[in-house]
Amino acid sequence: MASVTHACAVGELLSAYLDGELSRDELDTVVSHLDTCLDCIAEFHELRQARTMLRTLPRLEVPDRALPDIHYGAELSAYLDGELPTGEQPVVFAHMALCDRCRNELYELDAARTAVRSLPRLEALLERRHVDQNVVPLRPKRRSWVAASVAAAVVVAVVSFAGNEPQGPVVDLEVFSVQHGARLSVQSPASMFDAELTAADVSNP
Amino acid sequence: MAEELVPDWEDVARRYGRKIYNYAYRLTGNPDDSADLVQEVLLRVRKGLERYTPGSFEGWLWRITRNVFLDDVRKRKRRPTVPLCDDDRGVGNPSPSPDEVLSSVRLSEDVQAALLKLPIDFRECVVLCDVVGLTYDEISDAVDIPVGTVRSRIHRGRKMLRDMLTWPL
Repeated sequence: MASVTHACAVGELLSAYLDGELSRDELDTVVSHLDTCLDCIAEFHELRQARTMLRTLPRLEVPDRALPDIHYGAELSAYLDGELPTGEQPVVFAHMALCDRCRNELYELDAARTAVRSLPRLEALLERRHVDQNVVPLRPKRRSWVAASVAAAVVVAVVSFAGNEPQGPVVDLEVFSVQHGARLSVQSPASMFDAELTAADVSNP
Repeated sequence: MAEELVPDWEDVARRYGRKIYNYAYRLTGNPDDSADLVQEVLLRVRKGLERYTPGSFEGWLWRITRNVFLDDVRKRKRRPTVPLCDDDRGVGNPSPSPDEVLSSVRLSEDVQAALLKLPIDFRECVVLCDVVGLTYDEISDAVDIPVGTVRSRIHRGRKMLRDMLTWPL
């Protein structure tokens, strides 16, 4: 098919216009000309089609024999961490299937990375040191919390027991004290003793 | 201004090998010749890197590529056993590689055949612009012609391609 042919001098600028390669003055000239010249508009569309066809030609892979002895040593860490540009990741992956040298280097890098990543975290070390030196004893806090819970339960039991219709205690205080005293004994013998004493006082007014 | 980082040889092969191959294939239409050209370019780059002084690396690389291509053209003219497809001989029958078979839709075959019919000067500028992706300035640097000539060759090359191909409008 023959392209549009006409005598406009501006026609010569249309490819450069498509490629963004015009000077400011030339750009103004072409833009204003395209407002009025139907021939140039038609030519512009034809050139754009030709350019699109060229730019969408398939990009061919290079045959292996053309690229001998290429290795990816410098990129392997980034490959391991998934930090290569999107297009390069599959290229390195494909290369790895064929190249013993790069594959072995990748295994070594992976081992080194695993070793570094397995190092204990600094916060954990600091915490352990605190425990060893009894700088921040954690147990008293829990003990006082449990003792407070028992005391609260006893108060509830006493209130229930002192009600107008004595149909027996809502809570079996003996069982209660044994159960909770036993649990407390794990944490604090002193608290267990206090709890038993309180329960006995309540059951024998 | 940041100092230019000069890539090593393997870097060049990885980053530019495919571009050089596509440039060569679109100019010659022959996968074997194109692979040979890539090898020769990389060999010259390897030797030349020792003497390369930082400047426009891409311009330097494409000048080498072009010189290799032109050397090959000259050799073939002396021993014209295999046509370089500057005319109709061999067009459309470039013994495709498996990759090409997969991607050889009818349209790209037609475009490739039409490209091979362009005069070499026009073909070269069009390929450097639309296949390799160089700017007009970079093409001017690589081919050693004024930017105005680059502009004119690309324009006329595309128009000739448009004349050779029939596309639905």
